[in-house]
Amino acid sequence: MFAPGITLPGVLLALEMSSKHDVDLARRLQRRDSTAMGELYDRFGRVAYSVILAIVRDGSLAEDLVQETFLRVWNRIHAFEAGRGALGPWLLAIARNRAIDHLRSLSARMDRNAFELDLREHPSLFIDMERDVLNADHARVIRSAIGKLSANQQKVIELAYYEGLSQTEMAERMGEPLGTVKTWVRSALKHLREELGQAVAA
Amino acid sequence: MTCDQLQQDYTSYALGIADEPERAEIAEHLARQCPVCVPGVASAMSTVTAMSGAVKLVQPPRHLRRRVQAAVQPKPKAWSLGAILPWAITAMMSVALILIGISGRGPGDTAKLERALSILNDPATRDVTFGETGKPSKGRVFVSPSKGVVFIAASLPHIDSGKTFELWVIPAKGNPVPAGLFQSQSDSTAVFVRPGPVENAAAIAVTVEPDGGSAQPTTTPFIVTKL
Repeated sequence: MFAPGITLPGVLLALEMSSKHDVDLARRLQRRDSTAMGELYDRFGRVAYSVILAIVRDGSLAEDLVQETFLRVWNRIHAFEAGRGALGPWLLAIARNRAIDHLRSLSARMDRNAFELDLREHPSLFIDMERDVLNADHARVIRSAIGKLSANQQKVIELAYYEGLSQTEMAERMGEPLGTVKTWVRSALKHLREELGQAVAA
Repeated sequence: MTCDQLQQDYTSYALGIADEPERAEIAEHLARQCPVCVPGVASAMSTVTAMSGAVKLVQPPRHLRRRVQAAVQPKPKAWSLGAILPWAITAMMSVALILIGISGRGPGDTAKLERALSILNDPATRDVTFGETGKPSKGRVFVSPSKGVVFIAASLPHIDSGKTFELWVIPAKGNPVPAGLFQSQSDSTAVFVRPGPVENAAAIAVTVEPDGGSAQPTTTPFIVTKL
């Protein structure tokens, strides 16, 4: 968790992002090669499970949502541009969305625009993404950047990432004015983007 | 709203926490493939991805891999003959191999297996499934005009001792031609090979006959399948 006041805990993420392997894997999935599903799981199953478990905090439910995530990738792989898309980031976006969507109450889920959820998972958003965005260095940068945030900024980042609360909902939860919460969110995310941007450029 | 105004909320949007009206505005820009907002949100998405990469890793249970992979394995539909037939044929061919192969320690049984395989491998062989229309017996028949017939069936009816199943080749014109006698196994399945040319076969039929068979059917066929 992105606990306030402390640096992010965690084991370093050591995913070897071999772009050629991902391209081959995506193409095999597109050919409906079910053994490729096992390889996709070997590659991203652990991180997908970790993200989902951190959000829903229930192992059995996390398993269901991991299966749902991989099935969604399987069912939508034809929209994925194998040569240019970043497979892992796409899968993790789907994983987090499944978990957050589950957290939200039924009425909130019904209010939520499914079309918009699809937009945020659309493979076009993962084209030409830095393929090593998931590497251990970037994980370190993010953890360090969050560690430098103020307690309130860390709190809003935690509520955003792990609970998917809208800024209005955060303001209600924290008992703070919406404008203040928006400022914390924007400044915190800007800081993370900048730190990450410098790491990518370096 | 303009793309410039929306820019500061790209990451909130990518995280799914943007409020109105920014959320709807960005969604609208994305839906029309806005050349500024699509790459902008895509870049924000990489920040969200990096956040996912910083989550504490936990080892998932070992069975989860099998579960994920099993979810995309093709599953036969219950009670659909078309779906179960490939499995059924494989299973029954295995039965055939066991029957003919394991019990077949003599040269005659090996020859029988070879004949069955030569019928299945003949490019001219036609194969038809039967049992789709609510008839209890189901299975498949392979007919090679030059090499013979392989008949595979499940759920055959129980017959009394002193009775036998008889296979018939029914020509387009003329009377049914006897094509051999067979018994079912204890699980009501049968695999029967009748070698030799099959001339002008229009259909295959099976009747229950007295032991020793009949020259012409004496009961109504319980299986009739057109080729």
